[in-house]
Amino acid sequence: MELTTIKDAFERVTKKQKLSSSKSQEVIDQVGHEIEQALGKIQSADDPTSPVDQQSILTDLKLKLNAIVPLHQLEASQKELNLNLSKYPKLLEKFFNPDISKAYRNVDFDFHIVNQTVANHFYRQGMFDLGDSILNEAGEPEATALRSQFLEMHQILEAVRVRNLEPALKWACINREKLKQNGSNIELKLHRLQFVEILQRGNLADSLNYARACLAPFASLHMEEIQKLMACLLFARRLDNSPYAEMTSPTHWENLTEELTGEFCRLLEQSYESPLSVAIAAGVEGLPTLLKLANVMAAKKQEWLAMKQLPVPVELGKEFQFHSIFVCPVSRDQSSEENPPMLLPCLHVLCKQSIMKLSKSGTRTFKCPYCPTEASVAHCRQLYF
Amino acid sequence: MDHMDLDLDLDEPLTVEMDSDRSRRLFPRSFPGRSRSRSESPVDMESLSNGSATSATTATTTTTTTNTTNPPSATAPVPQPSKLAHLTESLKLEHQLLRVPFEHYKKTIRANHRAVEKEVSAVISGVSDAVDSDVSKDDAVHRLTSLVSRLQGLKRKLEEGSRVENLQAQRCRARLDHLESADAENLTDWNNTRLKRILVDYMLRMSYYDTALKLAESSNLLDLVDIDVFQEAKKVIDALQNKEVAPALAWCADNKSRLKKSKSKFEFQLRLQEFIELVRAGNDLRAITYARKYLAPWGATHMEELQKVIATLAFRSTTDCARYKVLFEPKQWDFLVDQFKQEFCKLYGMTLEPLLTIYLQAGLSALKTPYCYEDDCTKEDPLSQDSFRKLALPLPYSKQHHSKLVCYITKELMDTENPPQVLPNGHVYSTKALEEMSKKNNGKITCPRTGLVCEYSELVKAYIS
Repeated sequence: MELTTIKDAFERVTKKQKLSSSKSQEVIDQVGHEIEQALGKIQSADDPTSPVDQQSILTDLKLKLNAIVPLHQLEASQKELNLNLSKYPKLLEKFFNPDISKAYRNVDFDFHIVNQTVANHFYRQGMFDLGDSILNEAGEPEATALRSQFLEMHQILEAVRVRNLEPALKWACINREKLKQNGSNIELKLHRLQFVEILQRGNLADSLNYARACLAPFASLHMEEIQKLMACLLFARRLDNSPYAEMTSPTHWENLTEELTGEFCRLLEQSYESPLSVAIAAGVEGLPTLLKLANVMAAKKQEWLAMKQLPVPVELGKEFQFHSIFVCPVSRDQSSEENPPMLLPCLHVLCKQSIMKLSKSGTRTFKCPYCPTEASVAHCRQLYF
Repeated sequence: MDHMDLDLDLDEPLTVEMDSDRSRRLFPRSFPGRSRSRSESPVDMESLSNGSATSATTATTTTTTTNTTNPPSATAPVPQPSKLAHLTESLKLEHQLLRVPFEHYKKTIRANHRAVEKEVSAVISGVSDAVDSDVSKDDAVHRLTSLVSRLQGLKRKLEEGSRVENLQAQRCRARLDHLESADAENLTDWNNTRLKRILVDYMLRMSYYDTALKLAESSNLLDLVDIDVFQEAKKVIDALQNKEVAPALAWCADNKSRLKKSKSKFEFQLRLQEFIELVRAGNDLRAITYARKYLAPWGATHMEELQKVIATLAFRSTTDCARYKVLFEPKQWDFLVDQFKQEFCKLYGMTLEPLLTIYLQAGLSALKTPYCYEDDCTKEDPLSQDSFRKLALPLPYSKQHHSKLVCYITKELMDTENPPQVLPNGHVYSTKALEEMSKKNNGKITCPRTGLVCEYSELVKAYIS
């Protein structure tokens, strides 16, 4: 982001601040100096040969101090600084959006839910002390639902990081059936990595035993994979320079971490990404549009609060598309059960109501609005996305 | 683009230039089932397009060139230009990040300056006093010495003050640098930091100071969050929760001119509460003296509230009259805490709501569709969770102007690069998913939702604009 203007303006403020500071120093020094001189004079008056009247020295000092006009000096330097101090926030307001709460609906946001969501976010990221801490400070006693699960996940991942697959294998074994239902072959992948690890350590007998015990049960479903692994035995001590060098690539470990997280979350019926991150990221992308809208609707505050659907689309990136939404290109309506999308014989898609309208409730053939092909209602069929 | 006839046959590579918004739409105004050859007479698109089709492009901000012959993975590391446009827009939301440390800096400067002015003028009047009061020599020496040491003290104080000012200026700079550092390469990290900043802001506003500090320290965020600013608020809030108004009144005195400027009546509200406490304790005479001194000055602007509170002298704290009973309720103190938080945020240029709830609301609104509340909602959607569903309940649904189709199997967006195909039973899946399935099963396709088995060759592409 181009911030040069703002940075320059800020440096002007700090320059004036330094100037004002040194001016203050100077004034204090001046005043101090005069007082010290006067003090010296009075003290040196001990000398009886030149009797000095302290009163005249003090009056003299007063006059000198008045001549310095210290307060005036201080004020002058501060004035310039003040000017810059009030300019800078105005510049910020111009450059940035000064109030991003304009699009906020003052509805009851349940803070217990928010707190629990934040705590679960911390647990999911492996920040367990933070999760515990916020629940404690917020006084939310019964919100530790996902703590133990995410703790298990992070223990497994932590072990994987130091290439210890034991906890992961144990978990995969316990959840074998559910993983199979989800179409995951993560258990085989774990055994494969373990096998390659043992093989690289160079003990052939160990490798073979491991293969017999742990890989054999997968033979019926994953023969090809297992044949490949067995072939690795031929290159036991030089796998790196073999046709199977790819097996030792560290990317397998990186991918494993991701896949384990994914499968673990799936079994928990949780998303892969933290839902809080996703919702906030969507908010960051969507808020500029909402603020523009709020500005336009500023005069109709009631309407803003009452609307059931946003009047304009908020464009979000691909990663936020979770549902198929069909918008009829003719009527601009979103499809629904009563008004489903229909495929015309020319393969263009319109929603049912539009087709009924074009065909005068199915009484006649009509031309597709996108190509000149004739169609009849009988030849249209419903689509399911 | 508008005059290009698209060749949609799979055998030939498809080269389309389009802007990013259109690339998300599916085959805008294309001609399926028409000629395979590009040379055949293009139909006059303009005559066919009605207003609705052209209006589709209005939301676009950036343009990109997509070559559909490249697999998307080849271009994946380069972030889409629309992402960068989003980034620039989103950085403009960061007003508070820069404003709060600046207000803090300004406050320190002003306070330091006031201290210097006060001390210097005290020293000068000290000299004047000495002149006027005809002092003895020893007395004069004594007075001047004490003035000198007073000035030395001031100098030390000023040096300390400048040190604090410089630290705060440094913090303002650190935030400018942080904003400037956001770019395509570090976007993921930067976004993670933003989420953490938002969380710290939330926890500070909710008075979860320990957790806020822990998160800021463990993530190295201390320069990017306003923990020290909130320390000041903490003292006042803690006191109010203990039913003490003194720190709050001191805070009002500190910020008198700015509170006056914003026509704040927070001080008045504090005074009213003190008065109520005197009435509750049965100290009627003291209450009346108090009211004369501290409440009467507000009469010109807030007569009605003033009268209502004074009437409690007649009704006392045991009253059943609802109008006055409420004034004695403990929740009045909670109300004062809320009121203080508002004044405090206003003074520092913060949003009145926590950033977290602002972003969360915007995000949930943008994500909310009727499909989110169905049982088969994908777990990746935050709105598949009860907690988010509850939060989103009072929020409006998002609106779509264009179709956005997500493949049931791969969960990927179906677009020009990955067009939707229709099975004989009307179910639609992405080309990618179907091709892979067909490859694995010798050209056979099994519908995952109905179990219908068909040949890959039976599929037809659907064209959706």
